Amino acid sequence: MNLENNEYLREIADKGERLDQRKPVQRRAINIKRKVINHADGSAYVELGQTKVMAGVKVLEGVPYPDKPDEGSLIVSFEPTELADDYPKDRLIYGVEVGRVTDRGIRESRVIDMKKMVIEAGKKSFFVYIDIYALNNDGNLLDASNIAALAALLDAKFKRTPESEPESLPLDLQKMSFSSTFVKIGKNVFLDPMRLEENASDAKISIAVSTAVNSMQKGGVGFFTPEEVDFCIGKAFDLGGELKDLLTSSPK
Amino acid sequence: MYEERFDKRKFDELRPIEAETGIIPNADGSARFRIGNTEAIAAVYGPTEVKPKHLEKLDRAVIMCKYDMMSFSVPDRAKPGVDRRDMEIGEVITNALNRAVMVEEFPKSMIGVYVYVTQADAGTRCASLTAASMACADAGLPMRDLIAAVAAGTVGDSVVLDLTKEEEDYEGGTTDVPIAFLPSKNEIVLLQLDGAVSREDMKKVIEVGKVGALKIYEIEKEALKRRFSNESKS
Repeated sequence: MNLENNEYLREIADKGERLDQRKPVQRRAINIKRKVINHADGSAYVELGQTKVMAGVKVLEGVPYPDKPDEGSLIVSFEPTELADDYPKDRLIYGVEVGRVTDRGIRESRVIDMKKMVIEAGKKSFFVYIDIYALNNDGNLLDASNIAALAALLDAKFKRTPESEPESLPLDLQKMSFSSTFVKIGKNVFLDPMRLEENASDAKISIAVSTAVNSMQKGGVGFFTPEEVDFCIGKAFDLGGELKDLLTSSPK
Repeated sequence: MYEERFDKRKFDELRPIEAETGIIPNADGSARFRIGNTEAIAAVYGPTEVKPKHLEKLDRAVIMCKYDMMSFSVPDRAKPGVDRRDMEIGEVITNALNRAVMVEEFPKSMIGVYVYVTQADAGTRCASLTAASMACADAGLPMRDLIAAVAAGTVGDSVVLDLTKEEEDYEGGTTDVPIAFLPSKNEIVLLQLDGAVSREDMKKVIEVGKVGALKIYEIEKEALKRRFSNESKS
Protein backbone atom coordinates (compact mmCIF):
# COMPACT_ATOMS: atom_id res chain seq x y z
CA MET A 1 0.00 0.00 0.00
CA ASN A 2 1.28 3.42 -0.84
CA LEU A 3 0.90 6.57 1.17
CA GLU A 4 -1.48 8.78 -0.72
CA ASN A 5 -3.58 11.60 0.54
CA ASN A 6 -7.09 10.34 -0.06
CA GLU A 7 -8.80 13.16 1.78
CA TYR A 8 -9.60 15.26 -1.27
CA LEU A 9 -10.92 12.28 -3.16
CA ARG A 10 -13.14 11.31 -0.25
CA GLU A 11 -14.31 14.87 0.17
CA ILE A 12 -15.58 15.17 -3.40
CA ALA A 13 -16.94 11.60 -3.26
CA ASP A 14 -19.33 12.76 -0.54
CA LYS A 15 -20.79 15.15 -3.11
CA GLY A 16 -21.01 12.34 -5.65
CA GLU A 17 -18.10 13.76 -7.67
CA ARG A 18 -15.02 12.05 -9.09
CA LEU A 19 -11.48 13.07 -10.01
CA ASP A 20 -12.08 12.60 -13.74
CA GLN A 21 -15.52 14.27 -13.75
CA ARG A 22 -17.35 11.03 -14.38
CA LYS A 23 -20.86 10.47 -13.05
CA PRO A 24 -21.13 7.93 -10.19
CA VAL A 25 -22.48 5.21 -12.50
CA GLN A 26 -20.37 5.87 -15.56
CA ARG A 27 -17.72 3.59 -16.99
CA ARG A 28 -14.47 4.77 -18.54
CA ALA A 29 -14.06 4.42 -22.32
CA ILE A 30 -13.50 0.85 -23.46
CA ASN A 31 -11.30 -0.03 -26.41
CA ILE A 32 -11.29 -3.64 -27.61
CA LYS A 33 -8.81 -5.06 -30.12
CA ARG A 34 -9.52 -8.62 -31.18
CA LYS A 35 -7.25 -11.28 -32.69
CA VAL A 36 -3.99 -9.72 -31.57
CA ILE A 37 -1.84 -12.84 -30.97
CA ASN A 38 -1.04 -15.21 -33.83
CA HIS A 39 -0.22 -18.27 -31.70
CA ALA A 40 -3.35 -18.01 -29.54
CA ASP A 41 -6.57 -19.78 -30.57
CA GLY A 42 -8.41 -16.59 -29.60
CA SER A 43 -7.09 -13.33 -28.18
CA ALA A 44 -7.99 -9.78 -27.26
CA TYR A 45 -6.43 -6.60 -25.95
CA VAL A 46 -8.66 -4.37 -23.84
CA GLU A 47 -8.22 -0.85 -22.55
CA LEU A 48 -10.59 0.36 -19.85
CA GLY A 49 -9.46 3.94 -19.48
CA GLN A 50 -5.77 3.54 -18.70
CA THR A 51 -6.17 -0.02 -17.44
CA LYS A 52 -4.80 -2.39 -20.05
CA VAL A 53 -5.00 -6.19 -20.22
CA MET A 54 -4.36 -8.89 -22.77
CA ALA A 55 -6.12 -12.26 -22.88
CA GLY A 56 -5.35 -15.37 -24.89
CA VAL A 57 -7.27 -18.63 -25.27
CA LYS A 58 -5.68 -22.02 -25.88
CA VAL A 59 -7.73 -25.16 -26.42
CA LEU A 60 -5.72 -28.28 -25.58
CA GLU A 61 -6.47 -31.93 -24.92
CA GLY A 62 -6.41 -33.20 -21.37
CA VAL A 63 -7.78 -35.81 -19.00
CA PRO A 64 -11.24 -34.90 -17.61
CA TYR A 65 -11.60 -34.42 -13.87
CA PRO A 66 -12.98 -37.50 -12.08
CA ASP A 67 -16.08 -35.63 -10.84
CA LYS A 68 -16.96 -34.50 -14.39
CA PRO A 69 -15.81 -37.33 -16.66
CA ASP A 70 -18.09 -36.32 -19.54
CA GLU A 71 -17.18 -32.63 -19.71
CA GLY A 72 -14.38 -30.42 -20.91
CA SER A 73 -12.74 -27.99 -18.50
CA LEU A 74 -12.18 -24.28 -18.15
CA ILE A 75 -9.01 -22.89 -16.59
CA VAL A 76 -8.69 -19.15 -16.13
CA SER A 77 -5.46 -17.64 -14.90
CA PHE A 78 -4.60 -14.03 -14.31
CA GLU A 79 -1.02 -12.81 -14.22
CA PRO A 80 -0.68 -9.46 -12.48
CA THR A 81 2.85 -8.94 -14.02
CA GLU A 82 5.50 -6.50 -12.91
CA LEU A 83 4.71 -4.39 -15.97
CA ALA A 84 1.41 -3.20 -14.58
CA ASP A 85 2.46 -1.42 -11.40
CA ASP A 86 5.09 -1.38 -8.71
CA TYR A 87 3.27 -2.39 -5.55
CA PRO A 88 4.32 -6.00 -5.11
CA LYS A 89 2.20 -6.55 -2.03
CA ASP A 90 -1.03 -5.44 -3.69
CA ARG A 91 -0.23 -7.64 -6.63
CA LEU A 92 -0.24 -10.85 -4.60
CA ILE A 93 -3.71 -10.13 -3.31
CA TYR A 94 -5.50 -8.92 -6.41
CA GLY A 95 -3.67 -11.40 -8.64
CA VAL A 96 -5.43 -14.37 -7.15
CA GLU A 97 -8.75 -12.64 -6.70
CA VAL A 98 -9.07 -11.35 -10.27
CA GLY A 99 -8.31 -14.76 -11.74
CA ARG A 100 -10.72 -16.61 -9.52
CA VAL A 101 -13.60 -14.16 -9.86
CA THR A 102 -13.22 -13.96 -13.65
CA ASP A 103 -13.17 -17.76 -13.74
CA ARG A 104 -16.37 -17.99 -11.71
CA GLY A 105 -18.26 -15.49 -13.86
CA ILE A 106 -17.49 -17.44 -17.02
CA ARG A 107 -17.85 -20.90 -15.50
CA GLU A 108 -21.14 -20.37 -13.69
CA SER A 109 -22.81 -18.65 -16.62
CA ARG A 110 -22.18 -21.86 -18.62
CA VAL A 111 -21.38 -19.76 -21.67
CA ILE A 112 -19.28 -22.66 -22.97
CA ASP A 113 -21.22 -25.90 -23.38
CA MET A 114 -18.65 -28.16 -21.76
CA LYS A 115 -20.65 -31.30 -22.58
CA LYS A 116 -19.68 -30.72 -26.20
CA MET A 117 -15.99 -30.51 -25.29
CA VAL A 118 -15.52 -34.16 -24.36
CA ILE A 119 -13.62 -36.47 -26.71
CA GLU A 120 -13.90 -39.76 -24.86
CA ALA A 121 -15.77 -39.82 -21.54
CA GLY A 122 -13.44 -40.27 -18.58
CA LYS A 123 -10.36 -40.36 -20.79
CA LYS A 124 -9.97 -37.34 -22.99
CA SER A 125 -11.55 -33.92 -23.24
CA PHE A 126 -10.72 -30.38 -24.32
CA PHE A 127 -9.38 -27.91 -21.80
CA VAL A 128 -10.08 -24.26 -22.49
CA TYR A 129 -7.29 -22.16 -21.02
CA ILE A 130 -7.88 -18.43 -20.71
CA ASP A 131 -4.71 -16.60 -19.68
CA ILE A 132 -5.01 -12.93 -18.85
CA TYR A 133 -2.05 -10.58 -18.40
CA ALA A 134 -2.25 -7.13 -16.84
CA LEU A 135 -0.18 -4.59 -18.75
CA ASN A 136 -1.16 -1.45 -16.85
CA ASN A 137 -3.19 -1.19 -13.69
CA ASP A 138 -5.29 1.91 -13.28
CA GLY A 139 -7.95 0.16 -11.24
CA ASN A 140 -10.72 -2.31 -11.96
CA LEU A 141 -8.61 -5.02 -13.57
CA LEU A 142 -11.54 -7.32 -12.96
CA ASP A 143 -13.98 -5.77 -15.42
CA ALA A 144 -11.23 -5.33 -18.00
CA SER A 145 -10.22 -8.99 -17.62
CA ASN A 146 -13.82 -10.14 -17.91
CA ILE A 147 -14.31 -8.33 -21.23
CA ALA A 148 -10.93 -9.45 -22.57
CA ALA A 149 -11.67 -13.07 -21.67
CA LEU A 150 -15.09 -12.99 -23.35
CA ALA A 151 -13.71 -11.28 -26.46
CA ALA A 152 -10.96 -13.90 -26.73
CA LEU A 153 -13.53 -16.70 -26.33
CA LEU A 154 -15.75 -15.23 -29.05
CA ASP A 155 -13.02 -15.50 -31.65
CA ALA A 156 -11.45 -18.76 -30.46
CA LYS A 157 -11.14 -21.50 -33.06
CA PHE A 158 -9.96 -25.03 -32.39
CA LYS A 159 -9.61 -28.32 -34.24
CA ARG A 160 -11.41 -31.40 -32.92
CA THR A 161 -8.93 -33.63 -34.75
CA PRO A 162 -5.70 -32.68 -36.51
CA GLU A 163 -7.45 -33.15 -39.89
CA SER A 164 -10.70 -31.34 -39.15
CA GLU A 165 -11.52 -27.74 -40.02
CA PRO A 166 -11.08 -25.17 -37.24
CA GLU A 167 -14.38 -24.48 -35.51
CA SER A 168 -15.66 -22.01 -32.93
CA LEU A 169 -16.21 -22.96 -29.32
CA PRO A 170 -19.76 -24.13 -28.45
CA LEU A 171 -20.81 -20.78 -26.99
CA ASP A 172 -24.26 -19.64 -25.99
CA LEU A 173 -24.04 -15.89 -26.45
CA GLN A 174 -27.20 -15.33 -24.39
CA LYS A 175 -25.27 -16.63 -21.41
CA MET A 176 -22.24 -14.35 -21.62
CA SER A 177 -21.87 -12.83 -18.19
CA PHE A 178 -20.51 -9.31 -17.85
CA SER A 179 -18.83 -7.95 -14.77
CA SER A 180 -19.51 -4.55 -13.20
CA THR A 181 -17.41 -3.40 -10.27
CA PHE A 182 -18.47 -0.72 -7.80
CA VAL A 183 -16.66 0.87 -4.88
CA LYS A 184 -18.11 2.56 -1.86
CA ILE A 185 -16.35 5.72 -0.77
CA GLY A 186 -17.91 7.26 2.32
CA LYS A 187 -21.65 6.96 1.74
CA ASN A 188 -21.67 6.90 -2.04
CA VAL A 189 -21.27 4.12 -4.61
CA PHE A 190 -19.24 4.51 -7.83
CA LEU A 191 -18.93 2.29 -10.90
CA ASP A 192 -15.58 1.31 -12.44
CA PRO A 193 -13.07 2.73 -9.94
CA MET A 194 -9.70 4.01 -11.06
CA ARG A 195 -6.73 2.95 -8.97
CA LEU A 196 -6.83 6.07 -6.81
CA GLU A 197 -10.51 5.43 -6.08
CA GLU A 198 -9.82 1.79 -5.28
CA ASN A 199 -7.15 2.86 -2.80
CA ALA A 200 -9.43 5.40 -1.17
CA SER A 201 -12.47 3.15 -1.06
CA ASP A 202 -14.03 1.46 1.95
CA ALA A 203 -15.49 -1.49 0.11
CA LYS A 204 -15.75 -2.95 -3.36
CA ILE A 205 -18.27 -5.22 -5.02
CA SER A 206 -18.01 -7.02 -8.37
CA ILE A 207 -21.13 -8.48 -9.94
CA ALA A 208 -21.19 -10.59 -13.10
CA VAL A 209 -24.60 -11.01 -14.71
CA SER A 210 -25.99 -12.78 -17.75
CA THR A 211 -29.71 -13.51 -17.51
CA ALA A 212 -29.04 -14.26 -13.86
CA VAL A 213 -26.43 -13.08 -11.37
CA ASN A 214 -23.52 -15.47 -11.93
CA SER A 215 -20.85 -14.25 -9.57
CA MET A 216 -20.39 -11.73 -6.83
CA GLN A 217 -17.38 -10.74 -4.81
CA LYS A 218 -17.32 -8.21 -2.03
CA GLY A 219 -13.91 -6.80 -1.19
CA GLY A 220 -12.46 -4.22 1.17
CA VAL A 221 -12.95 -3.76 4.88
CA GLY A 222 -16.10 -1.60 4.63
CA PHE A 223 -19.70 -2.69 4.12
CA PHE A 224 -22.68 -2.44 1.78
CA THR A 225 -26.28 -2.23 2.93
CA PRO A 226 -28.77 -4.68 1.38
CA GLU A 227 -30.32 -1.73 -0.49
CA GLU A 228 -26.95 -0.82 -1.98
CA VAL A 229 -26.33 -4.40 -3.09
CA ASP A 230 -29.72 -4.45 -4.77
CA PHE A 231 -28.99 -1.11 -6.44
CA CYS A 232 -25.66 -2.44 -7.78
CA ILE A 233 -27.28 -5.62 -9.09
CA GLY A 234 -29.90 -3.55 -10.90
CA LYS A 235 -27.21 -1.40 -12.48
CA ALA A 236 -25.14 -4.47 -13.36
CA PHE A 237 -28.04 -5.82 -15.43
CA ASP A 238 -28.39 -2.52 -17.32
CA LEU A 239 -24.64 -2.23 -17.85
CA GLY A 240 -24.28 -5.87 -18.91
CA GLY A 241 -26.52 -5.20 -21.90
CA GLU A 242 -24.43 -2.20 -22.90
CA LEU A 243 -21.21 -4.20 -22.64
CA LYS A 244 -22.65 -6.97 -24.73
CA ASP A 245 -23.55 -4.55 -27.52
CA LEU A 246 -20.10 -3.01 -27.30
CA LEU A 247 -18.35 -6.36 -27.46
CA THR A 248 -20.37 -7.88 -30.28
CA SER A 249 -20.06 -4.71 -32.37
CA SER A 250 -16.29 -4.34 -31.79
CA PRO A 251 -14.30 -4.75 -35.00
CA LYS A 252 -12.68 -8.13 -35.51
CA MET B 1 21.72 -25.38 -50.31
CA TYR B 2 19.63 -22.58 -48.90
CA GLU B 3 19.48 -20.14 -51.81
CA GLU B 4 16.17 -18.40 -51.26
CA ARG B 5 14.72 -17.60 -47.86
CA PHE B 6 11.35 -19.06 -46.90
CA ASP B 7 9.83 -15.58 -46.69
CA LYS B 8 11.70 -14.31 -49.81
CA ARG B 9 13.76 -11.78 -47.86
CA LYS B 10 17.31 -10.92 -48.88
CA PHE B 11 19.95 -12.58 -46.72
CA ASP B 12 20.78 -9.30 -44.96
CA GLU B 13 17.19 -8.05 -44.73
CA LEU B 14 15.28 -7.60 -41.47
CA ARG B 15 11.64 -8.52 -41.02
CA PRO B 16 9.16 -5.59 -40.79
CA ILE B 17 9.68 -3.69 -37.54
CA GLU B 18 7.35 -1.70 -35.29
CA ALA B 19 8.63 0.24 -32.30
CA GLU B 20 6.83 2.49 -29.85
CA THR B 21 7.42 3.80 -26.35
CA GLY B 22 5.26 4.99 -23.48
CA ILE B 23 2.72 2.18 -23.79
CA ILE B 24 2.47 1.54 -20.02
CA PRO B 25 1.46 4.76 -18.23
CA ASN B 26 2.24 3.48 -14.71
CA ALA B 27 5.86 2.67 -15.57
CA ASP B 28 8.68 5.20 -15.57
CA GLY B 29 9.54 3.99 -19.05
CA SER B 30 8.06 1.42 -21.42
CA ALA B 31 8.33 0.15 -24.96
CA ARG B 32 6.98 -2.33 -27.47
CA PHE B 33 9.22 -3.81 -30.14
CA ARG B 34 7.96 -6.03 -32.90
CA ILE B 35 10.04 -7.73 -35.57
CA GLY B 36 8.07 -9.94 -37.94
CA ASN B 37 5.82 -12.08 -35.76
CA THR B 38 7.99 -11.68 -32.67
CA GLU B 39 6.87 -9.06 -30.19
CA ALA B 40 8.10 -7.98 -26.75
CA ILE B 41 6.89 -5.36 -24.30
CA ALA B 42 9.08 -3.88 -21.58
CA ALA B 43 8.51 -1.70 -18.55
CA VAL B 44 11.07 0.06 -16.36
CA TYR B 45 10.41 1.11 -12.78
CA GLY B 46 13.07 3.06 -10.95
CA PRO B 47 15.54 4.00 -9.72
CA THR B 48 13.94 3.05 -6.40
CA GLU B 49 15.22 1.68 -3.11
CA VAL B 50 16.62 -1.84 -3.31
CA LYS B 51 14.38 -4.72 -2.30
CA PRO B 52 15.54 -7.15 -1.02
CA LYS B 53 17.99 -4.95 0.82
CA HIS B 54 20.97 -7.36 0.82
CA LEU B 55 21.30 -7.01 -2.97
CA GLU B 56 22.14 -3.33 -2.64
CA LYS B 57 25.47 -2.09 -4.04
CA LEU B 58 27.21 0.89 -2.51
CA ASP B 59 28.68 2.26 -5.73
CA ARG B 60 26.00 1.58 -8.34
CA ALA B 61 22.40 0.71 -9.11
CA VAL B 62 21.31 -2.89 -9.31
CA ILE B 63 19.36 -3.84 -12.41
CA MET B 64 16.67 -6.42 -11.65
CA CYS B 65 15.42 -7.96 -14.83
CA LYS B 66 12.67 -10.43 -15.50
CA TYR B 67 12.05 -12.06 -18.86
CA ASP B 68 8.89 -14.12 -19.30
CA MET B 69 6.86 -15.47 -22.17
CA MET B 70 3.11 -15.09 -22.13
CA SER B 71 1.44 -18.48 -22.08
CA PHE B 72 -0.19 -17.94 -25.47
CA SER B 73 2.95 -16.57 -27.16
CA VAL B 74 4.03 -19.98 -28.44
CA PRO B 75 2.30 -22.72 -30.49
CA ASP B 76 1.82 -24.89 -27.36
CA ARG B 77 0.85 -23.29 -24.08
CA ALA B 78 3.81 -22.09 -22.01
CA LYS B 79 3.07 -22.56 -18.33
CA PRO B 80 2.83 -19.07 -16.80
CA GLY B 81 5.89 -18.13 -14.78
CA VAL B 82 9.64 -18.10 -15.15
CA ASP B 83 11.42 -21.30 -16.17
CA ARG B 84 15.15 -22.03 -16.56
CA ARG B 85 15.31 -20.61 -20.07
CA ASP B 86 13.57 -17.43 -18.95
CA MET B 87 16.02 -17.07 -16.05
CA GLU B 88 19.04 -17.40 -18.31
CA ILE B 89 17.69 -14.86 -20.78
CA GLY B 90 16.88 -12.51 -17.92
CA GLU B 91 20.52 -12.82 -16.87
CA VAL B 92 22.06 -12.06 -20.29
CA ILE B 93 19.68 -9.13 -20.72
CA THR B 94 20.72 -7.81 -17.30
CA ASN B 95 24.39 -8.06 -18.27
CA ALA B 96 23.86 -6.12 -21.49
CA LEU B 97 21.80 -3.43 -19.75
CA ASN B 98 24.49 -3.00 -17.10
CA ARG B 99 26.89 -1.88 -19.81
CA ALA B 100 24.37 0.42 -21.50
CA VAL B 101 22.81 2.12 -18.47
CA MET B 102 25.12 4.31 -16.37
CA VAL B 103 24.43 2.39 -13.19
CA GLU B 104 27.25 4.21 -11.36
CA GLU B 105 25.05 7.32 -11.35
CA PHE B 106 22.56 5.71 -8.94
CA PRO B 107 24.35 4.12 -6.00
CA LYS B 108 22.27 2.10 -3.53
CA SER B 109 19.24 1.96 -5.82
CA MET B 110 17.43 -0.51 -7.97
CA ILE B 111 16.14 -0.37 -11.52
CA GLY B 112 13.43 -2.91 -12.33
CA VAL B 113 13.26 -3.97 -15.97
CA TYR B 114 10.42 -6.32 -16.88
CA VAL B 115 10.03 -7.86 -20.31
CA TYR B 116 7.18 -10.02 -21.57
CA VAL B 117 7.07 -11.75 -24.94
CA THR B 118 3.57 -11.61 -26.39
CA GLN B 119 4.37 -13.49 -29.60
CA ALA B 120 7.33 -15.72 -30.36
CA ASP B 121 8.68 -16.42 -33.83
CA ALA B 122 12.44 -16.62 -33.18
CA GLY B 123 14.64 -13.80 -31.94
CA THR B 124 12.69 -13.23 -28.74
CA ARG B 125 15.73 -12.42 -26.58
CA CYS B 126 16.93 -9.84 -29.11
CA ALA B 127 13.50 -8.24 -29.40
CA SER B 128 13.24 -8.25 -25.60
CA LEU B 129 16.62 -6.61 -25.11
CA THR B 130 15.88 -3.97 -27.73
CA ALA B 131 12.52 -3.24 -26.07
CA ALA B 132 14.19 -3.12 -22.64
CA SER B 133 16.81 -0.67 -23.86
CA MET B 134 14.15 1.60 -25.38
CA ALA B 135 12.18 1.45 -22.13
CA CYS B 136 15.31 2.51 -20.18
CA ALA B 137 15.79 5.46 -22.53
CA ASP B 138 12.08 6.27 -22.22
CA ALA B 139 12.50 6.29 -18.43
CA GLY B 140 15.15 8.97 -18.88
CA LEU B 141 17.99 6.87 -17.49
CA PRO B 142 21.44 8.09 -18.53
CA MET B 143 22.89 5.61 -21.02
CA ARG B 144 26.14 5.14 -22.89
CA ASP B 145 24.07 4.18 -25.93
CA LEU B 146 20.89 2.38 -26.91
CA ILE B 147 21.19 -1.36 -27.40
CA ALA B 148 20.28 -2.76 -30.79
CA ALA B 149 19.95 -6.54 -30.77
CA VAL B 150 19.27 -8.96 -33.60
CA ALA B 151 19.80 -12.62 -34.37
CA ALA B 152 22.13 -13.53 -37.21
CA GLY B 153 23.47 -16.91 -38.14
CA THR B 154 23.85 -19.53 -40.80
CA VAL B 155 21.08 -21.48 -42.49
CA GLY B 156 22.47 -24.29 -44.61
CA ASP B 157 25.65 -22.68 -45.90
CA SER B 158 24.28 -19.14 -46.15
CA VAL B 159 24.91 -16.35 -43.66
CA VAL B 160 21.57 -14.75 -42.83
CA LEU B 161 20.17 -11.93 -40.74
CA ASP B 162 17.15 -12.12 -38.44
CA LEU B 163 16.17 -15.79 -38.59
CA THR B 164 12.55 -16.92 -38.38
CA LYS B 165 11.40 -20.02 -36.49
CA GLU B 166 11.07 -21.79 -39.82
CA GLU B 167 14.73 -21.05 -40.57
CA GLU B 168 15.82 -22.09 -37.09
CA ASP B 169 14.23 -25.47 -37.77
CA TYR B 170 15.78 -25.81 -41.27
CA GLU B 171 16.79 -29.43 -41.85
CA GLY B 172 20.07 -28.60 -43.57
CA GLY B 173 21.49 -27.23 -40.31
CA THR B 174 21.19 -23.87 -38.63
CA THR B 175 23.32 -21.83 -36.29
CA ASP B 176 21.62 -19.06 -34.39
CA VAL B 177 23.70 -16.18 -33.03
CA PRO B 178 21.83 -13.58 -30.98
CA ILE B 179 24.02 -10.49 -30.93
CA ALA B 180 23.59 -7.05 -29.38
CA PHE B 181 25.56 -3.89 -30.00
CA LEU B 182 26.00 -0.48 -28.50
CA PRO B 183 26.17 0.69 -32.11
CA SER B 184 27.90 4.04 -31.70
CA LYS B 185 30.58 2.47 -29.48
CA ASN B 186 31.04 -0.66 -31.57
CA GLU B 187 30.65 -2.75 -28.40
CA ILE B 188 29.10 -6.21 -28.33
CA VAL B 189 27.12 -6.60 -25.11
CA LEU B 190 25.30 -9.86 -25.78
CA LEU B 191 26.52 -12.79 -27.78
CA GLN B 192 25.34 -16.37 -27.73
CA LEU B 193 25.65 -19.23 -30.17
CA ASP B 194 24.48 -22.73 -30.55
CA GLY B 195 25.27 -24.83 -33.58
CA ALA B 196 28.40 -25.21 -35.65
CA VAL B 197 30.02 -22.42 -37.60
CA SER B 198 33.48 -21.78 -39.03
CA ARG B 199 35.66 -18.88 -37.92
CA GLU B 200 35.27 -17.18 -41.33
CA ASP B 201 31.50 -17.53 -41.25
CA MET B 202 31.38 -16.23 -37.70
CA LYS B 203 33.14 -13.08 -38.89
CA LYS B 204 30.46 -12.65 -41.57
CA VAL B 205 27.71 -13.35 -39.04
CA ILE B 206 28.95 -10.53 -36.83
CA GLU B 207 29.22 -8.23 -39.85
CA VAL B 208 25.70 -8.88 -41.01
CA GLY B 209 24.51 -8.60 -37.39
CA LYS B 210 26.06 -5.17 -37.21
CA VAL B 211 24.29 -4.12 -40.42
CA GLY B 212 20.97 -5.22 -38.89
CA ALA B 213 21.71 -3.62 -35.54
CA LEU B 214 22.43 -0.26 -37.18
CA LYS B 215 19.05 -0.33 -38.91
CA ILE B 216 17.29 -1.24 -35.66
CA TYR B 217 19.22 1.54 -33.92
CA GLU B 218 17.74 4.13 -36.29
CA ILE B 219 14.21 2.77 -35.75
CA GLU B 220 14.68 2.93 -31.97
CA LYS B 221 15.81 6.53 -32.13
CA GLU B 222 12.87 7.44 -34.38
CA ALA B 223 10.42 5.88 -31.92
CA LEU B 224 11.91 7.77 -28.99
CA LYS B 225 11.90 11.06 -30.88
CA ARG B 226 8.28 10.49 -31.86
CA ARG B 227 7.35 10.03 -28.26
CA PHE B 228 8.95 13.22 -27.10
CA SER B 229 7.60 15.30 -29.96
CA ASN B 230 4.12 14.00 -29.08
CA GLU B 231 4.60 15.07 -25.51
CA SER B 232 5.68 18.56 -26.39
CA LYS B 233 2.45 19.06 -28.34
CA SER B 234 0.16 18.15 -25.46
